[in-house]
Amino acid sequence: MSARRSRLMTMAAASGLAVVLAAHVAGGSSLAATPVGGTRPSHGSVGTPTTTTAGAPPPNGSTTTATPQGLRSATGAMEQYGYGEIAVRISVRGTRIVQATVSTLQTAESYSQQLAQQVIPTLQSEVLSAQSAQISAISGATYTCQGYAASVQSALDQLGVK
Amino acid sequence: MGTVVSYLVDPGPLSDDEVSSAMAESTAELHRLDGIFSTWVPDSPMSRYRLGELDAEELPPEIPVVLELCASVKQMSRGWFDPWAMPGGVDPTGLVKGWAVEKATAILVRAGVAGALVNGGGDVATFGSCAGDGRWRIGIQHPWRVDALACVVEVAGGRAVATSGRYERGEHLIDPFAAVLQHRGAGARAASATVSGPELAVADALATALMVAGSDALSLVAALRGYSAYRILEDGTEEATAGFPFADAGQRSRSA
Repeated sequence: MSARRSRLMTMAAASGLAVVLAAHVAGGSSLAATPVGGTRPSHGSVGTPTTTTAGAPPPNGSTTTATPQGLRSATGAMEQYGYGEIAVRISVRGTRIVQATVSTLQTAESYSQQLAQQVIPTLQSEVLSAQSAQISAISGATYTCQGYAASVQSALDQLGVK
Repeated sequence: MGTVVSYLVDPGPLSDDEVSSAMAESTAELHRLDGIFSTWVPDSPMSRYRLGELDAEELPPEIPVVLELCASVKQMSRGWFDPWAMPGGVDPTGLVKGWAVEKATAILVRAGVAGALVNGGGDVATFGSCAGDGRWRIGIQHPWRVDALACVVEVAGGRAVATSGRYERGEHLIDPFAAVLQHRGAGARAASATVSGPELAVADALATALMVAGSDALSLVAALRGYSAYRILEDGTEEATAGFPFADAGQRSRSA
């Protein structure tokens, strides 16, 4: 494995196709921010909308913070994704996003209530907390995508990053 | 299209500039292909082709390539995947997203990255090594719990994973609950289907097909060299072909 890796993330959107890019880091990273996803550097929090980070819980709301290393962070607005709300917290250095984590993934009260009222089939190996599964990506979670992208854009706007 | 594509990249020996350049080329290609195939854009080549407005000579070469692949998968799936059965004209949507993600991934591979995972709205292409033991762990979206996984699969780089779900079609997850059966039985509809194999375009199309196909369809997929499938029905029944890459050994007991 390469001894030198870099973590970079940028976002671009055009004609309805939003692209979120992320690259992974191994240990030895110069980033001061909380590592995404804990011990496995390739954790799915980055670029994977429905996992929540296993690191220190970031503050909710639209707070921005800055560190001496020039790392600035902001939490994007809570965005609807059809079954609830999602908010993403990003850290940038200059114009480059160096980290993105899902800070909040809430299912709507109405949805949760309906779940509670139904007899819901249980799957043999279902994982009710995606963050514990140590995954790099989720196959099938399309409906969180736009909310995720919108929240990231909101955070970028707060930080004044194009 | 509204699809979000996310990338996980291990640059390996590439410099930051080389990675940035490869990413730019890869995303540009996605936008270019979206411009060709989007059926949401009225004057995209695909839209015009569906209306019969384009002659063969005017077609971008990607369209016949994709349509030929569609025909191939239609045959493989005994017609369960049939883009020509769509209202409004041939619609390769069930395959082209996976195809485009494959193309985008190939650009990174050619650039020399050590590893990559590209996830286009649930269609996942992988290459090379993931940090750790090198295999990629991919969660499969739970079909009726939005913040949960149905299971986890683990694949080596080069294998793709595509999931198609009823929840993607704008049907509320709540609605199927009205029909959730208290007992298992024939007639339960598929809630989601996942296919893994070497080509994401094919996996994408097969997963689409499995959403509507009958119970014999899983064995169809099993007969295709390198492909395996996992399907969840609305009543909670799970079916999988032998070799479906469940991450934990305990899950393999579900294989057909």
